[in-house]
Amino acid sequence: MNQDEQALDFSTVIASTVHDMKNSLAMLMQAHSQWLARLPEAERQVPEQGVIDFEFAHLNGMLVQLLGLYKLGVNQMPLQPAYHELDDFIEAQLASHQEVFASRGIIATYEVDPLSPLGFFDRELIASVLGNCINNAIRYARESLLITVSDEAGQLVLSIHDDGPGYPAEMLERQADYVQGINHSSGSTGLGLYFAGRIAALHQRNGVGGRTEIRNGGPLGGGVFSIYLP
Amino acid sequence: MLSYHQKSFLIVDDFSDFRSSVRSMLRELGVKDVDTADSGEQALKMCAQKSYDFILQDFHLGDGKKNGQQVLEDLMMEKLISNEAVFVMVTAETSQAMVLSALEHEPDAYLTKPFNRVGLAQRLERLEQRKTLLKPILQALDRGKPVEVLNACIALCKQDIRYSPLCLRYRADALRDMNQNEALERLYDSIIADRPLPWAFAGLGKLLFRRGQVAQAKGVYEKALKVFPMMPALYDGMADVLVAEGDTKGAQKVLEEAIRLSPLAVRRQALLGKLAMTNEDFDTASRAYRQAVAQGAQSRFKDPESNLGLAHALISKGSEKGLDTRTRLEINTTLSAVAKENPSDPGLQIRARLMKATSLLLNDAETAEKLTEQALMRLDGMEQFMSPEAALLVAKQLQMLGQAEAGTSMLKSCAEIYGDDPAVMKDIAKLTDDPTILSSSNAAADLNRQGVRVYKTGNLAEAREVFRKALKMQPKNISIALNMAQSLLHGTDTSVPSAELEECRACLKTVGLMPDTDARYPRYQKLKSKAFGE
Repeated sequence: MNQDEQALDFSTVIASTVHDMKNSLAMLMQAHSQWLARLPEAERQVPEQGVIDFEFAHLNGMLVQLLGLYKLGVNQMPLQPAYHELDDFIEAQLASHQEVFASRGIIATYEVDPLSPLGFFDRELIASVLGNCINNAIRYARESLLITVSDEAGQLVLSIHDDGPGYPAEMLERQADYVQGINHSSGSTGLGLYFAGRIAALHQRNGVGGRTEIRNGGPLGGGVFSIYLP
Repeated sequence: MLSYHQKSFLIVDDFSDFRSSVRSMLRELGVKDVDTADSGEQALKMCAQKSYDFILQDFHLGDGKKNGQQVLEDLMMEKLISNEAVFVMVTAETSQAMVLSALEHEPDAYLTKPFNRVGLAQRLERLEQRKTLLKPILQALDRGKPVEVLNACIALCKQDIRYSPLCLRYRADALRDMNQNEALERLYDSIIADRPLPWAFAGLGKLLFRRGQVAQAKGVYEKALKVFPMMPALYDGMADVLVAEGDTKGAQKVLEEAIRLSPLAVRRQALLGKLAMTNEDFDTASRAYRQAVAQGAQSRFKDPESNLGLAHALISKGSEKGLDTRTRLEINTTLSAVAKENPSDPGLQIRARLMKATSLLLNDAETAEKLTEQALMRLDGMEQFMSPEAALLVAKQLQMLGQAEAGTSMLKSCAEIYGDDPAVMKDIAKLTDDPTILSSSNAAADLNRQGVRVYKTGNLAEAREVFRKALKMQPKNISIALNMAQSLLHGTDTSVPSAELEECRACLKTVGLMPDTDARYPRYQKLKSKAFGE
């Protein structure tokens, strides 16, 4: 029964390494932004800066997701739901990607249904899903990104729209496989869908679980990712 | 200009790079009043000097230091921050910090590192708006007026019904403080039926348990733990229920689960130590008490009982050959701390010495004898009452150390002070067969019960006479003395001197020597403030 004496399994080793990597990355990002602040204006606005900001956010998102997947695996994903003001929540997600939007010339906006200003969910977990989706949308968006919040039959729907080429047809057809973890072949996007699906499902109300959906079209004509929370 | 630019800020982080980086972000946002602290201890000092509008507190401030949660608890318990102030917990990994947070002391927001200037500005702006919206509620909270809190909640919901979920917690806490139990239960039930929230489950469980509805409380915790298996506070409630049902083994298991989730919890570790001792699981007991002592060093919940518990567990674990050097060293260190840190508490001085003497019984009889003598001398002049657990352990150790007579007199005084409690008498019976001790309190306890019956009929004079007779047999009995005092205060004008008032004050003075951990201590304080007009 002595758990301390068991050899560490590989996923635990990975998880604690990822944890350190995440801290390390946070320090790196911080040092970088301090260094940047001391540079003259002209030297700050270089194209490389956009790449650095995007990849920083991308790396951070992947590490958060990796830690999340580990916790899901060992059943340590605590759900801590509470009421949150939706415009505040969405603003916060957009603000954390502000540099990337600026350097890529993307205009990000949001629309919240004024009749339902509060949502009930785990802020941290849904933020990690949104973070990954925004990151993904930035990769494909041409110049605009839109987050909408609406109410569909009592469920809260958060959608991220971009004006890019949209999801490939094959992915749309087989989205259920990604969510169920059957097909991970398309790398980080597939894993992201799996992660988002699991987190959505953790949110339950009266036996109904949350879910995700991808489609093409919407007001911006590109890819649309939606998460439904009961 | 942003609405918070004129507010005062305190940044607490052990990394100077982080402090200066956040400070420069705030400067760029137009904030002028920014102070920094590199530890929780320093932050507490600074908050005692100046009231900050915003505190940005790093969660993990290094091993062996107060963490952000402990700083928040201290700030709230000491009332060093207003409810209007914004407390933001800054973490590298937020979900873990949330598990470690106590349900009764939650920060206003979490901010996950890394964050940028725009992200920080957005959070601050929103939190400021939220606090402004809730201002009437928060100000009523600062004044400690639950009725006004409730009214402010009603006013806000009337103004904009969409924000009613934000008021739920304030409403529940206000009802709890006003002892409006039925309304509170209805509110909790309706919250849980709509959207299960962990604090609502914990609150409902606590309410039912407090009212003696143990089985219902258990049902609530069982349901809650299915929905929120990662919430340590719910395990604590479940453990209370199991202890009340007499299932100490089950309670220990549940607490061990809570500690696996959240090991940094002084009181939880100490409680686990105590339960494991009851269950004679000395390994678990010594581990838990060791943690309680180590973590207690930085905490407001530091308690010499954990040191004594650790020593007791280690001694109980020992073999017939005595204790090894390492264990003796640990016992010595932990007990020396008790003696050194509590110079004016005779009870602790005696108990620490007897505990140490017991540990040396087999290996160093000479020192054991010397310590026992010192303890006996102090015991002779001690007026304070020990708790029944402490008194019985002292009696047992005196017996082991060859001081049968002193042990017997300890048992006698314990039977006098706590004799009306059958559980205490049962424990006394484990240590002695002496019928004079075991039956010593029967007559007085009978009279006490009779007195209560008479008091309820309203015959004050006769009730006082019966209590007086009982108290004469057992002058130090806490229950009898409190009943005597209450019957004397009943119908007596405390603003003019009288024989009743004198008598009342005298018996309160005697039982004022009871330990403040006793369940009857609040009742004593109430009577005392009435009798002495304080």
